[in-house]
Amino acid sequence: MPLLIDRKPVADDRWQLVEDAENLPASGDLLLPLGLYLENKDALSAQAGEIAVRVNGDDDLTPVLESLDSFPMIAVEFPAFRDGRGFSLARILRRAGFKGELRAVGNPARDQLGYMERCGFNAYEFSEEVYSDDFLKAFEEISVHYQGSADDPRPIYLQS
Amino acid sequence: MYIYNEVDQKIVDERVEQFRDQTRRFLAGELSDDEFLAVRLMNGLYIQRHAPMLRVAIPYGLISSPQLRKLGHIARKYDKGYGHFTTRTNIQYNWPKLEEVPDILAELAEVQMHAIQTSGNCIRNTTTDQFAGVTPDELEDPRPWCEIIRQWSTLHPEFAYLPRKFKIAVTGSPRDRAASQVHDIGLHLVQNDAGEVGFEVLVGGGLGRTPVIGKQIRPFLAKKDLLSYLEAILRVYNLKGRRDNKYKARIKILVEAMGIDAFREEVEAEWANIRDSELGLTDAEIDRIKGFFQPFAYDADAANDTSLQQKLESDEAFRVWYEHNTHNHKVPGYTAVVVSLKPQLQPAGDITDLQLEVVADLAEQYSFGQARSTHEQNLVLADVKNADLYAVWQKLAEHNMARANIGTLTDMIVCPGFDFCGLANAKTLNIAEQINTAFDDLDYLYDLGEIRLNMSGCINACGHHHVGAIGILGVDKKGEDWYQITIGGSDREDASLGKVLGKAVAADDVAETLKKLLETYVEQRTEEERFVDTVRRVGVAPFKEKVYAAAH
Repeated sequence: MPLLIDRKPVADDRWQLVEDAENLPASGDLLLPLGLYLENKDALSAQAGEIAVRVNGDDDLTPVLESLDSFPMIAVEFPAFRDGRGFSLARILRRAGFKGELRAVGNPARDQLGYMERCGFNAYEFSEEVYSDDFLKAFEEISVHYQGSADDPRPIYLQS
Repeated sequence: MYIYNEVDQKIVDERVEQFRDQTRRFLAGELSDDEFLAVRLMNGLYIQRHAPMLRVAIPYGLISSPQLRKLGHIARKYDKGYGHFTTRTNIQYNWPKLEEVPDILAELAEVQMHAIQTSGNCIRNTTTDQFAGVTPDELEDPRPWCEIIRQWSTLHPEFAYLPRKFKIAVTGSPRDRAASQVHDIGLHLVQNDAGEVGFEVLVGGGLGRTPVIGKQIRPFLAKKDLLSYLEAILRVYNLKGRRDNKYKARIKILVEAMGIDAFREEVEAEWANIRDSELGLTDAEIDRIKGFFQPFAYDADAANDTSLQQKLESDEAFRVWYEHNTHNHKVPGYTAVVVSLKPQLQPAGDITDLQLEVVADLAEQYSFGQARSTHEQNLVLADVKNADLYAVWQKLAEHNMARANIGTLTDMIVCPGFDFCGLANAKTLNIAEQINTAFDDLDYLYDLGEIRLNMSGCINACGHHHVGAIGILGVDKKGEDWYQITIGGSDREDASLGKVLGKAVAADDVAETLKKLLETYVEQRTEEERFVDTVRRVGVAPFKEKVYAAAH
């Protein structure tokens, strides 16, 4: 699936999505929905590769916030175009000090990318049908901002 | 008023180009209907019954003469020569062409205007008292706070895809002229025991399908904490508000479901995380914004005018207009004028290109180049010298904007209804006309006193019918328009929701029903009692009896 990280197209995604804990891949870096991760935390600690989690607005973020440093990547799900909970989840994760890759999944829309970046996302996963390189322009359409956010906490009057 | 700097200008200019590209991609089939829907709504563009509708923002109702002229120009060039003022103090155009909207937005940007966040599930235009800064009963001018909220909420990256729309109103006077208690957030400038001025914060008010009066979440909030507290409320709402049913998605439903105490706890817990962040307002920034709303250079000599008194004594029509369509000004010798957009035979809130230009000229000549729009769908010239009132009245009268009906039954709030709106179930404009025709005797209206009549063409309540002393709601019954009537509502400091009178009445019977309500009021009222007070005292029953007994 097309993937942008730090405003650049990335050909290979190192993360394998696991949705069934019965058959954990023997190797590689794994991405698990938060619930599945929590259920299988002990088994996963034996994995050779790294572990990332996928969260959405229905999840209680507490266990993630308690061990932020253990995740190199957190994926935030946007289950529907108009479901904006992921914007707040991103801000909470960044505010808590998460420094790793924060990826919007679930087909984020081109016209949301600027806002997503401002909320702390730096990676975006799209479906093959919708993506075009035109998406890269979305980050630069609005170059100034009034209010602080994850990208720059300063409101306009404290900038410059 | 607030004047754009380079950054403000850049934001609106870039926004225009962004929308131009979005429109191009949509017309080229590159952008889905659903995605274009969200982005066009956040730029004020609806697709209505006949044509697109573009809603232009008038931040907290304040507008300059050049901006009014631009609105007139847009009405003429891109529309059918008129616009319509809304209860959100915005103006909407009913006939623009989709492909021309980017050009309209570019024209607006030339005069520091835009259509950003006038629709969609985001933070909408903040509204306030139309007499802000000039009314004698004010603790502090609310407009600088509206501007601070405008900047914070404009293109806020986190709150553009909220569960539902979000409206904030700010008042600076104990008299509430902004319907603040039926807003998602109502902010009242108040003084605490220590003598400091801050905000009482209400949350969870709203109209629509489930009308609710806002609840106090905080009795006093320090000014510097305004944005951090708003952000905390919005974040809790964004994460917890319902998204499964659009009719249950407003913050009022969340607050009701959680209970105000539990909701407050969540907000305060979130607030603790961000209270001491860069969201805290600095004194320098507050002072900078306040600098844009300083009192005008009023003429100290204005109070010595004697011509007004002479004119009032010599011209009866002028005196009547003065009594009903003006408001006291805190500066001696000045008066605030309400420009009535409630003429006999035009839809409430409608204004032509020429009228927009006339108001622009009057503002420029007599009111420091500014006007205001009100949530009751009128305009205000807030700073007119008493000596100039006669000239202003003559000009307004010449252009059909001086009907002396402000605060009376025919100063109706009316949504556009089925004639224009894609959501409406029933027509409203024909009913308003019926009422205007039946109640054309101004002396009778003056005797009835203050009556807020609000009408909506559907349950979404854009016409604020629940908070009308008389509310009229259009409903569709098997393809026919019927009207449900409520009485006893108020959107003022004594806010209350109207109670249903009884079964809906047929379209032809609305004015006749109102007559019976008013007869009952006249029979029942005590001296000095407004219609709404009488309903509160005697209840709905006597009104109901009169209306429905006569029907048999």
